Parts: sequence; C-alpha cells; structure tokens
Amino acid sequence: MMLEIDNLNVYYNAIHALKGISFHLEKGEIVALIGANGAGKSTTLNTISGILRPRIGSVLFEGEDLTKIPPQDIVRKGIIQVPEGRKIFSKMTVAENLDIGAYASNDRARIKSNMDMMFQRFPRLSERRNQLGGTLSGGEQQMLAIARALMAEPRLLLMDEPSMGLAPILVEQIFDIIRDINEQGTSILLVEQNAQMALSISDRGYVMETGKIVLEGPSNELLVNPVVIDAYLGGGHD
Amino acid sequence: MTRNISNALHSAIIFIVVTIFLFLIGFTTTGSELIIKALSPSIAKTSEGLEIGFTIFISLIGFIIGLVASKREEPDTLGRNLVAGTIAGLISGVVIGLFGFLMGTLIENGIDLRGYLQSVSPDSMRKIVFDQPPNIGALRLGGIILLSSIFGSFINSTVIRAEWRKSLSTSVSESSTADSVRKTASKLGANQGFRMAMMAVLAAILIILPQQWGSYWNFVMGTVGIYILLGIGVNLIIGLAGQLILGYVAFFAIGAYTFALLTAPAPHNLQWNFWIAVGLAMISATIGSLFIGLPILNLRGDYLAIVTLGFGEIIRILVKSDLLTKFTGGPRGVRDIPGPTIFGQSFSSDVDYMYLIIAAVVVTAFVANRLQNSATGRAWVAIREDETVSKTTGVNSFAYKLLAFALSAAIAGLAGALFASRNQFTGPDDHVLMVSINVLCLLIVGGMGSLPGILLGAFTLKGLPELLRELENYRLLIFGALLVVMMLIRPEGLWPATRPKLEEKGKSIEAQKGEPT
Repeated sequence: MMLEIDNLNVYYNAIHALKGISFHLEKGEIVALIGANGAGKSTTLNTISGILRPRIGSVLFEGEDLTKIPPQDIVRKGIIQVPEGRKIFSKMTVAENLDIGAYASNDRARIKSNMDMMFQRFPRLSERRNQLGGTLSGGEQQMLAIARALMAEPRLLLMDEPSMGLAPILVEQIFDIIRDINEQGTSILLVEQNAQMALSISDRGYVMETGKIVLEGPSNELLVNPVVIDAYLGGGHD
Repeated sequence: MTRNISNALHSAIIFIVVTIFLFLIGFTTTGSELIIKALSPSIAKTSEGLEIGFTIFISLIGFIIGLVASKREEPDTLGRNLVAGTIAGLISGVVIGLFGFLMGTLIENGIDLRGYLQSVSPDSMRKIVFDQPPNIGALRLGGIILLSSIFGSFINSTVIRAEWRKSLSTSVSESSTADSVRKTASKLGANQGFRMAMMAVLAAILIILPQQWGSYWNFVMGTVGIYILLGIGVNLIIGLAGQLILGYVAFFAIGAYTFALLTAPAPHNLQWNFWIAVGLAMISATIGSLFIGLPILNLRGDYLAIVTLGFGEIIRILVKSDLLTKFTGGPRGVRDIPGPTIFGQSFSSDVDYMYLIIAAVVVTAFVANRLQNSATGRAWVAIREDETVSKTTGVNSFAYKLLAFALSAAIAGLAGALFASRNQFTGPDDHVLMVSINVLCLLIVGGMGSLPGILLGAFTLKGLPELLRELENYRLLIFGALLVVMMLIRPEGLWPATRPKLEEKGKSIEAQKGEPT
C-alpha cells in the first residue's frame, strides 16, 4: 500500500476539521476525494503535505509516518501537491516557476531535460516561458502549476481542485492531462468538487462530509449510487 | 459640468489645506529664501528679495493648482481647462486670501500666536500679506493664486496635454524617447567590452573623487555609503525574502558597539586590531540575528514587523541603561574609537575612510548580487511570493529566511562598525528607530530588490538632506510627502528591479508584458 491514512484528526484551533478519517491509496491508482465546500478535502491534502499537523492519527507513506517530517522533506519523498487555486509564483517567469518546482533536486542536467519535457508536453508554456506567471490565463496557470509539480518527479501527486474556475473545455483538457500523468506511472490523489469528472477518471472514490468519510467504493459504483447522484451529481433536478 | 466643478473643487481643497499647513509650520519663509537664493544670491537677505521669493513660491502653488485642477477635464478643450483652472484658483485664492487677512489682522492687533503654533512668528505672518495692511495684502495673495492657477491650466492645455494628444495620435508601436534610451542602454549593457570600459571609468571616478572633493563631501558621501550598505542588507530580507523586519537598526547597533568596545580605550581598554574587531562586529550581529530570528521567524507579516521593531528599541534602551553603563558607556556612548591601520600605517584620513566604505559597498553589492541571481535568490523570491507553496515545492522556508536574516544582520554589523570607526564615536542616539525607517524609505523610494535603486534611494534620502541643510527641520515632512508621491506615481521605485532571465537571454520580458493572454 502506497499511502495509508488512519484515524486522522486535524484541528484549526478549536474547530475540529477532520474527525477521524481513514483511507488508502494503492500504487498506480487515481483516488478521488469528493465532497462539498468545507468537507475537509483540502485539509486532508495539506496534512499529507505536512503543512498542517494532525492531533491524532497517522499518515503512512510506504510504511513511513509523515506526520513528524517537515514539508520540504516530504517533497523529497516524492509527494507533491498542486495547490488549490494554482498558486503559481506570479512575479516569476514560467521557466523560473518550473525551476523552483525542481528545487529539491541538484541534478542540473536532469532538471534541464525535465524542463524540456514539460515544454514538449505543454507547448503553450513553451511559447510563454519568459513571461511572468501572473500574466498567464487561468488554464495556462493550471498547466503551469501541474508542470511545476511534475518537475519534482512525483511518485504521488496531490491535486487540489484542478478544475476550479476553468471553462468546461479546459476542464476536459486538464483531466486528460491527469489521466496521462497517471498512465505514465504516477499515483494521484484527486480532490474535486466536480464529482462527475473526478469519478469518471478515478479508480476509487471517497465521499467526505463535514470532516468525515461517509461513503467509499469503486468510482463506477459511486457514479450510480443514488445517494451520490442525489447530493453531488445534480440528480433529481434534471 | 457639475463633475468638472467638483473636480476643480477637489484639487482646490487639497491645495488649500496643504498651503495653509505650509504657512503654519513656517515652511513658506524657508521655501522663499531658498528660491531667491537660487535665483539671485545678492538680494537673498534683503526684504525685497524675500518678497520676490515669496511671490514666486505662491505663484508656483497657484500654478500647480491650475495644472492639477484641469488635468482630468473632459472634453479636452482649452475653454474647459481654463474654466477648471479659474474655478480652482478662485476658490483657493479666496480661502488662502481670507487666511492671510485673518492672520494679518491678528498680528496687527498685537496677538502673538507663537504660544499656540511655534513657527507662526508675527514677522512671517506679516510676510504673507507682503508687509501691507491685511485687506490689501490678502487681495494680492488671492490674486496671485488666481492668476497663476489660470496660467497653470492654460499651460496644461496648450503644452502638456497637447504633447499627450500628439503622442496618442502617433503610432502606438513607436517607442518614446525614454524607452529607446533604455533599450540602447540595455543593448550597450549586454556588450562585454562596453561594460568593461564603464567599469574602468567608474573605478577611476571612485578612486579619484575622494581625493578631490574635500573632507565635507567625503563625510556626506561616507554616510551615503553606510546607508547603501544598510540598504543592501535590508533588501535581502525585505526586498527578496519578503519578511518585514523593522528593527534593523538593532544589528547596526550591535555591530557598532561590538566594534567600539573592542577597540576604544574606555570603558574596557581592549584596543584590539581594527580588522579583527570589524570581523567580530559582523559575527556578533549575526549571532544577534540568530538569537532573535530562531524564535520569531515563523511569524508572518505585521507580527514579525512589530516584534522586530521592539527588538530594535530593546537594544537601544539596553545600551543606554544605567544597568549596563559600566559595560557600554551608557548614554554618553563610547568615545575615541581609533581608526584602521594597514601594515602598521595609519589609514584613517577622510579619504581613506571613503575608500574603505567604497570597498565595503563594492564587495557587499557583489556578494548580494550573486546571491540574488542564484538558486538561493529564487528560493527567497518564492518565499516572498507564497511561503506555503514554496514549502510544497521543497524549499525549506525557515532555513532560507534565517539565512537572509543572518546575512542582512552581518552587513548591518559591518556598516555599524564602519560608522562607529569613522565618527570615532558611537552612542545610543546613533541607533534610533529613525535609522530603520530611513533604510526602509530608501528601499521604497529607490526600488525594492534593485541595486541601482538602493544607490539612488540612498543619495536621495541621505545625500540631498545633507546638502540642503536649510530644509533640515522639514526633513520628515519631505520624506513623508516623497513617500506618498512615490506610492501614487511610481510605486515600483525610481529604479525598479528587473527580473533576471533564466533562459533565452535575447528575449525581453518587458516586450511580452503587454501581450494579451
């Protein structure tokens, strides 16, 4: 098992944000974490990344507990987050953003070849490589955020709402990219409000509600689950 | 039409407040003196001279009122502009005239306002109404403002906005003179041979000037140099790593005192070697920064600013305190600090100090520049942009913040040691909060993160006030006004930083900025 979350309890001061969630992710999987605003999806990702610390519970990555390891060392273990709202460095050029993505590595030649690979994969970024990140469009910024994460050669990619604020056609593109990344061997933990899209590309899914996991199962089963359809797939209204 | 009147009214009110304020603090007298001194030194001291100076001063204010009032007039016709200038001039002329009348009457009735407002001497108030009866003088005052305001709006319409219209009608792609100058400069800058030649010329100037321009200039420029050092240091932590440190003077003080106590005959009579003492000053400032940085660098934004602000004051009060008087010399400071020696030769004339400071600036600037363009520099910028995200890309943000903090403290320690050594004295009053604020100001005025900006800022904020001694009392006022103006018209600073390019040196970032995305 690649990632195993056990009884995770996270607080924002007095607010109990994660109330003992447990789930796991196998190597090579795409696992979707779906749920409404405030369900605790981003909190879960930030806890795995080491930015937040749990009060109770463990995050095991290949058998090693991450909850005591500082964020920059978690990055070096191959867990990279694509943060919500993209959060690219807007005052840095596209190329510099990618360079910062590979910060954990010292192998200049490898960084260079990775960067060339990113520019091949995202031709739009190549055209704009000397442009400041803040001047890119929303879709381009999301691509840059993904490319920046890929620069670190992740083994597990944590993606926080990659579809947020993007036009439907761009959402399709981004999800194609996600599937593509997964097919090349990177495991992905995908947090999404767009449950339809997330479940359609993932192997398994968990449904979160106010800090708890209320449903889990293979994605194709969740897609036809009446509770999920009713709450997250707009069922009953169309 | 109502919008136009309200526009004119708006600028009139602002300038009325500013002008009356300038009257009340006595700046009008100083300003008039300066103007007439610049125009014709021979009549500067006479009362006619002062009157001419004051007339020019008031006309300038009126001119600016007219200029500003008509600036946004739409549609842009001469008539419209003139109407706006007239309205604004009339309103401010009447109000300021009334103010003059009021003051003149009060003075005539023998009421001395100095009890309430220190700078309002009867003499200066009589000057406002041109030494004439209040009613005539006030009319003259208001009339000058009205006329010069109309003139200002006329100039705005016929010269300034005409230029602007012309530049609009010519092709947009055609670059302005400023742009082309900049492009030529950057093209020349890329040329290796030209750069070497420029460096040689600069070096020659820096070697020859200190010997030529006398001890006064060496003193002024030495101070500027010290502030450039401080600016470079503070730029590392504030400009690059984005951590708002306000008590920067603490490290300046630690450096100065370490150096002073190690070399001075009293209170400890250690009399160590100059160079060792400078090194130790830098080290102790660094240790001080680690001591305060380790517990607090996790704080963000305003909290960090407040804590460091407090630290700066604590250090100053500590060295001043009775408790430590035996150790630090207390309020009287440390005196008779000896100068440096090289190979047994004394090296402490004003020229030598200038060289020393120049050398320190060059070395520090070189190191800072290399750091800025390295992977370390990029990590700092990433932390400034978004600390959380920088962590998720693998940057150990705490370690890098601490590194920036320690380096900037070391530079401040060096500056403090040089400052103490040159002045042959250091005391608590050398290390007041104002030093931190000055350094921050010079960074803002010059341009965050840019080395030429720091040089320019240091000259503007430390060099000019030294040279314009008459304005000494108004230094803070001018600083404040300068900061406000800078924020409004050029928030990126006089000489903003350009981002170093990682790849494809030929392509300019600037050229792509305008591209739609």
